[in-house]
Amino acid sequence: MADKSFNAFAMAQAQFDNIADLLELDTATRELLRNPLREYTFLIPVRMDDGRVKVFRGFRVQHNDARGPGKGGIRFHPAETIDTVRALSMWMTWKCAVVDIPLGGSKGGVICDPHNLSVHEQERLCRGWVRQLAQVIGPLRDVPAPDVMTSSQHMLWMLDEYEAIRGARFPGLITGKPVGMGGSLGRTEATGFGVVFTLREALKELGIRPGDTIASVQGFGNVARYAIRLYNQIGGKVICVSCCDQKDETSYCFRQKDGIDLDELLDITDRFGGIDKQKASGLGYEILPGEAWIEQDVDILIPAALENQITAENAPRISKRVKVIVEGANGPTTPEADRIIDERNIFLIPDFLANAGGVTCSYFEQVQSNTNLYWEKDEVLGKLDVKMTSAYLAVSQLAHRKKLFMRDAAYVIAVNRVAQACKDRGWV
Amino acid sequence: MDETRKQVDVLFEALREHAKELSCLYKVEEILKDYDSNLEDVLNAIIKAIPPGWQYPGHCRARIIYQGREYHSADFSATEWVLTNDIRIRDRTVGVIEVYYTEEKPQEDEGPFLKEEVKLVRTIAERLGDYIQHKRLRKMIQGVESTVDGDEPEKTCRWHVVVDLSRRMDRDLFQRITRKMLNYLCWNGIEEANALLRKISSDRISDLEELADGSNRPQRRSGADILTFSTEIFNIADRSLPDDEILACVEKWMQEDRASFLIKTLVNLNSSLGDVTDALHRFRHLAPEGLELSDSILKGLKVSLIRKIITDQLDYIKVAKNYVEIDDFYAVLKRLIYPTSSHGQVGGKSAGLFLAWQIIKRYQGYDEELQDIRIPKTWCITSDGLHNFMHYNNMEDVTEQKYKDIGIVRQEYPHIIQLFKNSRFTPEIIQGLSMALDDLGETPIIVRSSSLLEDRFGASFSGKYKSLFLANQGSKKERLQALMDAIAEVYSSTFGSDPIEYRTERGLIDFKEEMGIIIQEVVGTRIGKYFMPTFAGVAFSNNEFCWSPRIKREDGLIRLVPGLGTRAVDRLSDDYPILIAPGQPSLRVNVTFDEIIRYSPNKMDVINLETNNFETVDIKEFLSEYGEEMPAVTQLISRIEDSTIRPPSPMELDFRRDELVVTFEGLIAGTPFIPQVNKVLKILQENLGTPVDIEFASDGRNFYLLQCRPQSFAPDSAPAQIPKDIPESELVFTANKYISNGHVPDITHIVYVDPAKYSEVEDHSTLKEVSGAVGCLNKLLPKRQFILMGPGRWGSRGDIKLGVSVTYSDISNCSVLIEIARQKGNYVPDLSFGTHFFQDLVETSIRYLPLYPDDRDIVFNERFLTGSRNILADILPEYAHLDQVVRVIDVPEVSNGKVLKVYMNADLDEAIGVISFPESVPEASVRKRTYTQPRNSDDHWRWRLNMAERIAETMDPDLFGVKAYYVFGSTKNGTAGPGSDIDILLHFSGTGDQRDALMQWLDGWSMCLDEMNYLRTGYRSNGLLDVHLVTDQDIREQSSFAVKINAVTDAAREIPLKRSN
Repeated sequence: MADKSFNAFAMAQAQFDNIADLLELDTATRELLRNPLREYTFLIPVRMDDGRVKVFRGFRVQHNDARGPGKGGIRFHPAETIDTVRALSMWMTWKCAVVDIPLGGSKGGVICDPHNLSVHEQERLCRGWVRQLAQVIGPLRDVPAPDVMTSSQHMLWMLDEYEAIRGARFPGLITGKPVGMGGSLGRTEATGFGVVFTLREALKELGIRPGDTIASVQGFGNVARYAIRLYNQIGGKVICVSCCDQKDETSYCFRQKDGIDLDELLDITDRFGGIDKQKASGLGYEILPGEAWIEQDVDILIPAALENQITAENAPRISKRVKVIVEGANGPTTPEADRIIDERNIFLIPDFLANAGGVTCSYFEQVQSNTNLYWEKDEVLGKLDVKMTSAYLAVSQLAHRKKLFMRDAAYVIAVNRVAQACKDRGWV
Repeated sequence: MDETRKQVDVLFEALREHAKELSCLYKVEEILKDYDSNLEDVLNAIIKAIPPGWQYPGHCRARIIYQGREYHSADFSATEWVLTNDIRIRDRTVGVIEVYYTEEKPQEDEGPFLKEEVKLVRTIAERLGDYIQHKRLRKMIQGVESTVDGDEPEKTCRWHVVVDLSRRMDRDLFQRITRKMLNYLCWNGIEEANALLRKISSDRISDLEELADGSNRPQRRSGADILTFSTEIFNIADRSLPDDEILACVEKWMQEDRASFLIKTLVNLNSSLGDVTDALHRFRHLAPEGLELSDSILKGLKVSLIRKIITDQLDYIKVAKNYVEIDDFYAVLKRLIYPTSSHGQVGGKSAGLFLAWQIIKRYQGYDEELQDIRIPKTWCITSDGLHNFMHYNNMEDVTEQKYKDIGIVRQEYPHIIQLFKNSRFTPEIIQGLSMALDDLGETPIIVRSSSLLEDRFGASFSGKYKSLFLANQGSKKERLQALMDAIAEVYSSTFGSDPIEYRTERGLIDFKEEMGIIIQEVVGTRIGKYFMPTFAGVAFSNNEFCWSPRIKREDGLIRLVPGLGTRAVDRLSDDYPILIAPGQPSLRVNVTFDEIIRYSPNKMDVINLETNNFETVDIKEFLSEYGEEMPAVTQLISRIEDSTIRPPSPMELDFRRDELVVTFEGLIAGTPFIPQVNKVLKILQENLGTPVDIEFASDGRNFYLLQCRPQSFAPDSAPAQIPKDIPESELVFTANKYISNGHVPDITHIVYVDPAKYSEVEDHSTLKEVSGAVGCLNKLLPKRQFILMGPGRWGSRGDIKLGVSVTYSDISNCSVLIEIARQKGNYVPDLSFGTHFFQDLVETSIRYLPLYPDDRDIVFNERFLTGSRNILADILPEYAHLDQVVRVIDVPEVSNGKVLKVYMNADLDEAIGVISFPESVPEASVRKRTYTQPRNSDDHWRWRLNMAERIAETMDPDLFGVKAYYVFGSTKNGTAGPGSDIDILLHFSGTGDQRDALMQWLDGWSMCLDEMNYLRTGYRSNGLLDVHLVTDQDIREQSSFAVKINAVTDAAREIPLKRSN
């Protein structure tokens, strides 16, 4: 177990080292960026419902805040380790930098299993976490957010505790709050739309009219749905979508050569995101095995479900027609598949650029909270478009100029921005 | 035409007669209502009231003779046409009623009298007897009271008056009181009284001696003895006891005396339920306000009533007698349907509910929290109803079904259902059912079994017998027909394969199956065309599903669903009930947003009143249509808003638009429901002295208790010591989640349904075949020495892909049931945790173990499981084509005689399966395994004897030099058990070579027989034959085993050998 998490941080460092080599970073900068700037590990005594006290271990790792206040989630996980948190905080730094939002990278967590805690105990745990950190987090220092097994409810408890300590309202302390309690509109759409904003720009660069393209999508969750919606709006047609069938515990593809009708499919979708096979069949959809989405004769593939879906084994089955792969999911492509895709000259928009819509929207939430002025949804999505588009352009231009694979280009841009900020501040 | 009119006339006449009788009876009742009138006036009034009730009133005269006095009309004269009936009080004739015709009338049923008239006069006489007795007692009591109220007479007067009154009014009563007073005095150590008692008894002894002498002088009545001493007895009492005490005693005894007829009925083994009902009604009629009986008498009455009506289980009675009141039995009897002269009881389920309800009622007196608990209207058919039904339809031979092979039972079951459904009920049962329907009205009902076997002997028949819902709509005739159909179907479920298999297993097969029936109103509301409770579920005192180490067993478990509780009782693979530990309601199974949504119930069982069907509906669709109408709906659902789950505010709730999810958050957080259930469980557990499980339902207003029975447990649930430092090569698996306790040391076979291969199977029929193969292996493999390992959910009923679709009889012989959750993509499928037959697993000590091979730090030795030789094709050639999916591993064969041992420790949450040498030599372990019950205890020696004869038949005596062949020991004596060997004695007179050849030949037999015995019973030894050779010399010298030949005691039995001609 410990080995595995060590690997996570080691992996992040190795990845950084590669980029650092490309950027020819100096030793001090490498040293600084290879490791977190600050780490807090602390104990949280919690009075349990039965009157006894249980002590939990909490973490907050602030990897780098040269570009702005730290930003990153709080995980409640029984197998949490400081190394996992370190790795994740580093990735947050790059993620914020690649879309050029003025935030640094952080991550936090508590070793606990919420399944063993009552709601009241969870509340006390959240408040305890904030009490230990109230001096080192804040809207202008470090901004937490929900993550594994934490929800908007946890965020509100934390916010409330922080505000009680500071004696004033600071909605910008934390993101992921419900709308009306300092949350932002447009959050549901953000990631899916962001995927298509980058896709749109890519097509523009490739000189392809979206209206002439067809796509195949893996997944039918939030990301996939809003990606499909926006893609349709810019003229594209999705001809195949895959989703998991709760009952059969397997996935199926639903193909409609003339383009699927999103609303029609949503009407026959259960709450697990599974499309009703029979009804779909009745509507004229072909039901194919779950793997079929990748073999479709389309221009665009959008993996928007799970990680490790495009592998060395199935990548060769990708149709010759495919020109662009946009990674809506986190890590859908294995490194081996990356090589195949690169060799075949398929244009890939890497995950941490393509799905950065989510973190961008969190940034917008924080901005709104800090100014205590909340935007309409259109405004949120409009600003998102601008951010994503310019982020994309920066990456693709670099890739083009330096003949880099898109994934590497995105990393280069991110690391370079952070390194530059450190230099500008005179840290290194 | 003429004929018809005649018939009508006859009918009319009959009706007119009937009306006359009734009005006569009313008149008599009217007269007897008044206890204050003079008895003479009353008797005279009755004389006048009688004649109009007779066929020829003009010529009818009545006379009453009471205490020597005659009461009759002035123009009375006795004739030869008379109908008489004695007036009796306490079985003593005190008078007579006579009805005369003054002239001859045409011959009817009894002389000139109709049979209705005979009955009428009997009824009047009975009523008059009761009346006079009641009046006497009143007078006595009034006498006492008037002396009390009077102007302070001597205190002694009070009991004197009472005793005196009883002496004058009722000599029998007086005699009994006198006797009791004497006993009382003796108990209190009054020497005088003891002396008197000795005197009386010595008189009696001398009487006996006279009898013994053969004297035929009439024996003096012992009662008379007492009476002669009565004055003396009461004088002693007067001297030695305070007046208050005497009065209290006498009054108590008089009260008790009034209940004596009830006691008599109850102690009489022959009195039927009808008799009991009558006696109980009379008892109530005597004293509607309740008699003041002593505790011991009351307790005695209660115990007898429980035994007659409810159950004769001692454990039950021990508790119940403290909670029931005599009145409670009226309620039961009022809704009890029984065959004529029934001696049946209500059965397990009814008994459980009855007692639980009495206990709760008691607590309701002072516990605010329990106020809104109810039970639904419940009718019962007694347990002998099944026998009555079968007898009436000449179906007695169906009973033999239970002794047939289980395969045949299964095959024939559908025919039996048809047979039962096409049979008729006796008229009295039909009448009872009709009354029940009138009482229950047009509300849906459930028909359930309430077997005497159910819920007793630590055996739970949960789900083995049928329960059927009826919409109960339409004409009375239709409803009655549907009800009878349902009862017949429940009756027929006695002969289904599952209950029979289960009973065989528990050694209950020879128990005469008697099944009561419960007809219970379904709790709920009509919503649109549907009927259902707002929510329902089951609750257990002990939580066997602890999902968090913080939840202790005693925190209990509630399984909650919207609609009918069927979905909480049975597990369905595609849906989930809400689980709550009432002791720790805030520790939830599902805590994250995704989990809460994923594991919430999405279907609901309801009764469709339009189609008269039991249906399952989609909750989402149901709510969007009927949400507004559903009572207390906000207790059930939460609203999903922007990735938060919130309890809905009723004003904002929009059932058509909102995204809703069933969480029961409102019920849990906003109502006292959880503490209430917790309290009910605790109260019942404490008072019944055993953990319980209950079924309940709510119509949104009240909480209805539907069922209560003891929760069952394995006796050997001690945590096993987990051996440490086992080399990984010897591990088959490890587990560290959801572990219960147990230790299974001697597993010889593993049945492994390969999860990957199973999920690759494409057609449904092959999947079904896998279940079939498992069922066959269950019969073939040594009982309790094999484990079943398979993907996902064993017993999956809905989606067969989720797990092998077995029933309990297909897995009943395994020792550990293992479910394997292989990670698929980034999620791990849910396991059933054995819930399809959870209690069965507990009952039969089959351990359940979930494995998560893809978890960290977990060993899952796939190489062993998929790489070891598969013997499926050897033992089940017909399923050989499944050998990729189903693997059967003979552990000793592939591991040089080692076995698989499984250790499970719930406290550590650890379990491991280890391949290692058996703990001791097999023979020794045979003795340890006492739990393997042979199907038929005399099978073992018979089989051994047959085998021994087989050997004799095939042995060539000349070839081997054998002269004679004997068996002795347990095989001969008929005492052989499943692990016994076969003792053979051979008279050998051959050469050394012959001897070697013989031994080698027998060795082969020995090994074969061992294998056969192993497959039959699960017992293994190193060869089953124990061969002893004796020579001519041994026989001559009577040395060695030769003594057994022709021995006086326990001689070896000779078996003839094949002779070459």
